Amino acid sequence: MNALLRLLSIPALIMSRLPGLAPVIRALSTSVGQKLLMAVSGLSLVGFLVVHLAGNLQLFAGEDVFNAYAEKLHSLGPILGIAETGLFAMFALHIGLALSTASMNRLARRTAYDVRESKQGLSVLPSGGASSWMMVTGCVIFVFLTSHILDMKLKMGPGVDYTAALDAAGEATNSFAAVKAVLSHPPHAALYLAGLFALGIHLSHGISSALQTLGLNHRNWNWLFRTAGVVTAWTIAVGFMSVVFWALNQS
Amino acid sequence: MFRVASDELNSRVPDGPLQEKWDRHRFDLKLVNPANKRRFNVIVVGTGLAGSSAAASLGELGYHVKAFCFQDSPRRAHSIAAQGGINAAKNYPNDGDSIYRLFYDTIKGGDYRAREANVYRLAQVSNNIIDQCVAQGVPFAREYGGTLSNRSFGGAQVSRTFYCRGQTGQQLLLGAYQALMRQVATDKVRLFPRREMLDLIVINGAARGIVVRNIETGRLEVHVADAVVLCTGGYGNAYYLSTNAKGCNVTAAWRCHRRGAYFANPCYTQIHPTCIPVSGDYQSKLTLMSESLRNDGRVWVPQQQNDGRAASEIPDSDRDYYLERRYPSFGNLAPRDIASRAAKERTDAGFGVGETGLAVYLDFRDAIRRDGEDVIRRKYGNLFHMYEKITAENPYKVPMKIFPAVHYTMGGLWVDYNLMSNLPGLYVLGEANFSDHGANRLGASALMQGLSDGYFVLPATINDYLATATLPRVVEDHPECTATLTAAQQRLNQLIGINGSRSVDSFHRELGLLMWDYCGMARTKAGLEEVIPRIRDLREQFWKDLRVPGSGTGLNQSLEKAGRVADFMEFAELLAIDALHREESCGGHFREEYQTEDGEAARQDDLFSYVAGWEFQNVGEEPVLHREPLNFENVTPTTRSYK
Amino acid sequence: MSSDKLNLTLRVWRQSGPEDHGGFQTYKLSGVSTHMSFLEMLDVLNEKLIAEGEEPVAFDHDCREGICGMCSLMINGQAHGPDRGTTTCQLHMRRFTDGQTITIEPWRAVPFPVVRDLVVNRSAFDRVIQSGGYVSVNTGNAPDGNCIPVPSSTQETAMDAAACIGCGACVAACKNASAMLFVSAKVSQLATLPQGKAERSQRVVNMVAAMDREGFGSCTNTSECEAACPAEVSVSHIARLNREYSKAILFSDT
Repeated sequence: MNALLRLLSIPALIMSRLPGLAPVIRALSTSVGQKLLMAVSGLSLVGFLVVHLAGNLQLFAGEDVFNAYAEKLHSLGPILGIAETGLFAMFALHIGLALSTASMNRLARRTAYDVRESKQGLSVLPSGGASSWMMVTGCVIFVFLTSHILDMKLKMGPGVDYTAALDAAGEATNSFAAVKAVLSHPPHAALYLAGLFALGIHLSHGISSALQTLGLNHRNWNWLFRTAGVVTAWTIAVGFMSVVFWALNQS
Repeated sequence: MFRVASDELNSRVPDGPLQEKWDRHRFDLKLVNPANKRRFNVIVVGTGLAGSSAAASLGELGYHVKAFCFQDSPRRAHSIAAQGGINAAKNYPNDGDSIYRLFYDTIKGGDYRAREANVYRLAQVSNNIIDQCVAQGVPFAREYGGTLSNRSFGGAQVSRTFYCRGQTGQQLLLGAYQALMRQVATDKVRLFPRREMLDLIVINGAARGIVVRNIETGRLEVHVADAVVLCTGGYGNAYYLSTNAKGCNVTAAWRCHRRGAYFANPCYTQIHPTCIPVSGDYQSKLTLMSESLRNDGRVWVPQQQNDGRAASEIPDSDRDYYLERRYPSFGNLAPRDIASRAAKERTDAGFGVGETGLAVYLDFRDAIRRDGEDVIRRKYGNLFHMYEKITAENPYKVPMKIFPAVHYTMGGLWVDYNLMSNLPGLYVLGEANFSDHGANRLGASALMQGLSDGYFVLPATINDYLATATLPRVVEDHPECTATLTAAQQRLNQLIGINGSRSVDSFHRELGLLMWDYCGMARTKAGLEEVIPRIRDLREQFWKDLRVPGSGTGLNQSLEKAGRVADFMEFAELLAIDALHREESCGGHFREEYQTEDGEAARQDDLFSYVAGWEFQNVGEEPVLHREPLNFENVTPTTRSYK
Repeated sequence: MSSDKLNLTLRVWRQSGPEDHGGFQTYKLSGVSTHMSFLEMLDVLNEKLIAEGEEPVAFDHDCREGICGMCSLMINGQAHGPDRGTTTCQLHMRRFTDGQTITIEPWRAVPFPVVRDLVVNRSAFDRVIQSGGYVSVNTGNAPDGNCIPVPSSTQETAMDAAACIGCGACVAACKNASAMLFVSAKVSQLATLPQGKAERSQRVVNMVAAMDREGFGSCTNTSECEAACPAEVSVSHIARLNREYSKAILFSDT
């Protein structure tokens, strides 16, 4: 187990040996540096989610509007490619850092306590609230995302009937129909809801945590940061969930 | 009981007017060439205010320093617990303070039993301490405009006390600790935490090293050096219950005493009047409640013995506000020693309150009626909170119960003006020496003395010794080192080998009770003559019936305590002898035979205006008294009155 | 308070030395006065163990008034026990109930190896301070204390951070055994005060590196440290450390 954890921190070690950028990379590969990158990548991904949600909500405006939006996106060509690459890089960075810091954290305590009790009083989730569930919710989100890419981008969702989304040549051109096909498939709907629920929990700690990591903390405004974090988190999660429920309802 | 030597101790106080002594002296002292400093090794034992500041400053000068403490980190030394503040003669409030006034107050507060020149130097250096601490990032309280804030403390007529909330000792110690850590990082100081000093190595009459026990592994180590600096605090734990930390002990000082260093004025102990009383026989220590509470609280006991009523049900007519009765002008603000003795007088007469009868009331009822609860809360909220946490009683509703407790010890190893003991190369700083507080210490002066000794005095005086003394190279396996090491090891083996039936703590408690009853707030000839043989008996019992479980290897807290209590057993006898010999009352030493008609301390200046430096002979043998006469050239000793 | 005497079952971690695996031992203790402090209760247990010919439980303690930071103990899974803003030495037995089982464990973190029973080695904290937790000013170098005004609000913020007692409860309570609250308290105190500003960039970078070297975990902003801290040091100081760190790596020359 420990050997595996050590292996995971190797990329950071290698990066820190690079010439030129070495001082910056070294500074960013410390525990605090990694958390800073984690916060920046996490918040960027939140930014993406907001744009993504705005796009998705156009489903409610009907097939034509949504397909026009999808068409517009696809017509961006190379820009879309760059954006997607950036997005994947952010995900990869976020996940890589999560594994690296988690391995550091595991190495810092080899013997577990026999009894643990939070001193922060009751939280909705056991063992210290959302912050204790970042790894678990992160993994659920990862599974959901993998499926999401298979389903939507590659149109390879197992058990999904894509016929309504295909044109005469067999090309998937009707995005509206594709979304409906995936989300109205009950196992997929269940997975998506689970993933989005995990996302809500993940972000309800993640957003305010990222703000704290970036140094945003002032006793006059902490209530705002914390509330904004939770509200944004569940707005995003519930927003996406509404699409799933809409699709289930349509079928 | 003791023998008197015919010689006089030489304090080496320089000539010249009081104001110029320190300056002139610094000029007369030999210096060590900067390049040569790195050839000298200095051992500093203890890392409180005096030890940390000394080790850091010597490291900065370029000496090789080894710093030792028995705690797991230097930052935990008991200086950290000082609450009130630190005095300095800055006169920032423009209220008439001056170096001379701080000097005068300290000499007078010490009941004219301190050396004038030392106290004046302390007052001079006090200002530099504040500057140094501010520069280190010590967050002293500030006014809104950003300047340093002062308060009056301990009945002083001027505001000269600098403070960091109620944690001044902590912040000053952390400042010194950080300075020390900076030197550790540069390798000028090597740090040895969890080491307990067991003995002093004396070679050709000079202090050349120490034997320590590594508390974690149990291994004994020899460390040699060109000078040894002892900053190991006071001996208040001889009384078992005190406001000292549990680990505070006399071992390092006592071991040096056994190797020839004179122990000065051990009978000067300060008993603080406002502590939380003992609640049961399991009590392990006493907690101090700031003296400031007496500004608004009224001290009383019932007029009837064994009055079973709750405090609130006792009408004013049945209450005895004894401080106000006895000291109408100072009332509840009477000085520490007076307030303590008055409480003892009432409880001895059977008027005490609480389960044990060893407490008096400190009542805020009238202050709350007068100013309202909010005002009182603002002033003392944190103290009330602490009191409630410990006692589960709400002092806004029921009066606090308080009782005096041993707090500070003015006596310590004898040192000259350079802070060197009579053993060449052995320096003693802070509470461990006897030098600056006379027979009674004023509030906010302990921190000042520790830092003065460590930051400014020792770094100036130690050069002279190192530059002039003949110090042949000594290695760890020098025969004296080996002999001292072997003796220390044998003593540990002996402690483990007794294998009797009683724990160390049970002996320590018993000793503490004897000390408290006979050498506490009030002492008598008859009582002291009675207690000395009882201490000897107890010591014999200790060496016959002690049980130290476990072995000498690895961490063994019973063994650590056993070594400390063994030394307290010997030290206690000296304290009692000193108290017996000093046939007068002064400051923290009150002999019932020597009081005025009003029950106040009566000094006998013509007989006892001297420092008593005791020379060790053998355990149970009569110690030898060496006297250092006190000459007052600038102030005239007067009688304190608080009527 | 129904009764002022408790009968307790204590599950205490016993470990004979750093190499030993250790395990729990159960002791019954009766007639414990509710007025005792937690450590006095352990004193009573130890007296009993010595009388029975057993070795007493080793635990760290010194001032017993909540300031030295020597005492520790994980009590029923909480650092320094159930009360907030309280050290173990200031915790009293009236917080427990008759018949209760109390589990007592040492601080657990790789940088705090167990020495024996409940005693751990916290020298890692000293080494972190050595890496930069000070102002580099030699004795005698200081200008007058009043020459740089410090607004009282600034001083208060610095004092809030400086109140840290270095006990290690933050590390013990953190699920990642992170020392961020401890490190940030010193960084924040000295970055806030004008006297510490000259070295602020170097300090934060060096102290974070030292913290990592010692093997502490990273901060996930759970705030359990703040809840466990007997000096009630706030996680706002961690945010200040983060700001200082970002500024240092992005803009400083050092």
